Amino acid sequence: MKAWLIAWREIRWEVFLDRASLLRTGIFVLLPLFLVLANGGIGRGAGGDAALLGIAVQCVIFPAFSGVALIAATFTAEKENGTLVPLLAAPIRDLDIVVGKLGGMVITVMAASLVTLGAGYVIAAYRYGLARVAEVFTPELLYALLVLAFLYLITTGSITMIVAARVRSSRAAQQLAGLVIAFSAALFGGLGFIASQLGEGWPLLGLGVALVLFDVLALELARRAWQRGEVIARV
Amino acid sequence: MRGVTRRFDGLIALDDVSFTVQPGEIVALLGPNGAGKTTASRIIGGILTPSEGDVLVDDVSLRNDPNTVRSRCGFVTDQPSLYERMPLRAYLTFFGRLYDVHEPARRAAELAKLLGLDDVLDRRLGTFSRGMRQKVAIARALVHDPPVLLLDEPATALDPEMAQTLRSFIVSLRARHRAILLTTHDLDEAQRIADRVVVLFRGRVVRIGATGEIRSAGKPQYTVTFAGDGALARTALSRVGIDAQPASGSDGLSALRFTTDDPVRTNGQALRALIDANVQVVTLSVDERSLEDAYMQILQEARA
Repeated sequence: MKAWLIAWREIRWEVFLDRASLLRTGIFVLLPLFLVLANGGIGRGAGGDAALLGIAVQCVIFPAFSGVALIAATFTAEKENGTLVPLLAAPIRDLDIVVGKLGGMVITVMAASLVTLGAGYVIAAYRYGLARVAEVFTPELLYALLVLAFLYLITTGSITMIVAARVRSSRAAQQLAGLVIAFSAALFGGLGFIASQLGEGWPLLGLGVALVLFDVLALELARRAWQRGEVIARV
Repeated sequence: MRGVTRRFDGLIALDDVSFTVQPGEIVALLGPNGAGKTTASRIIGGILTPSEGDVLVDDVSLRNDPNTVRSRCGFVTDQPSLYERMPLRAYLTFFGRLYDVHEPARRAAELAKLLGLDDVLDRRLGTFSRGMRQKVAIARALVHDPPVLLLDEPATALDPEMAQTLRSFIVSLRARHRAILLTTHDLDEAQRIADRVVVLFRGRVVRIGATGEIRSAGKPQYTVTFAGDGALARTALSRVGIDAQPASGSDGLSALRFTTDDPVRTNGQALRALIDANVQVVTLSVDERSLEDAYMQILQEARA
């Protein structure tokens, strides 16, 4: 319940009233849609299917990239402005603070991913035909992509939180968030490619399970990094 | 606090610190920079955990039940640290909900009225002046009506009028049986409102006592003011065994200061010696030692 209070505050008063956050998220939402519009044409067969799949992945993952920067900004801003001290003095668990702050960003970014995916679907259907798009964009695939974006956000968000707990300035945190985005994009792309080469079904499921396990580990590490004593010692 | 020690990466910030604050009492926590004052108040407020020892608030142990301890403490820091984008009403209501306050929106309005902020309830905190922001920080600390208040340099950067208003407010909270720990560098403020004083030096308690007791500790000092030659007067006093030191006089008068354990005998001797030496004595008075003087002496002893 208290985690939700913190999450709602983040969404209502930090994300929606921060022009820089809105602009950054907007760019990451519009960029994949622009790529759909700019794409010349999608052919039949496996190549066309792969191109459509790429469009769908871009629509969910690009907004998720903006989420990593958002998470870095919110945590370091709390440290820099000292607003973390009253929060840590309140009768709430460390986990509520971590989950609340992370949750606020994840909800926002997942909403952006959902909107981008929906808009991408509509634009792609308009450009390449509804039947062709529906053939590749199955409900299961769309669901799997959203779950992938969610797992990506939790994992990279947790790593970014650990980084934010250690660094002193938001500039340093933003730079490290950029590195996390670049590294995670390469890692996800590589793992996804390997999984797709190994065949359908099990390798992708294995990747998902590995991500969930990594999420649990990263969240636990983030919770430890944001323990009251640890954070305050560095404020 | 009971035997609290706190280490940061091998550095001892607090070393076996123990003291109490009773309901209806203001205790001033004094000490030079780096003495461990802020660490102590952060430990009591449940923000930091002690490496050793414990804190009891209403017999609830910080180690066993930190959230209950936090819910019984209100914490004000030197920096108000507010969420700038939030309006006052939303801000206080948010903290009210975090502290499980019944009807938090009503409590927010009530506190705003109490602190004279009711006409800016819907204004964003980023537009508030320094004094208003500090009032908001106090309102935030009081949102759950805590029995213990931890005030860490609350008057820093406030103008004298605002600092006076804040002081009166703190005193009014004492009248409502709050236990108040005031961390401050402002010894004048501590002297005016603190019932007791705890002096920390390099993480250790070097003096605890009632403010009056600490001020009056040590040999009383006396100042004699006179018209005439200071050297002559000093020589006259030294002839009767009084070691007097020059002090600052006023209205063109000279002044000498001396200490004694036996003012009945020594002061009479001093007056006779001065009159015999044709020194025109104007006053002989006991010095009220300020808390600042006492504090400086305590630190000097601690360093020695």
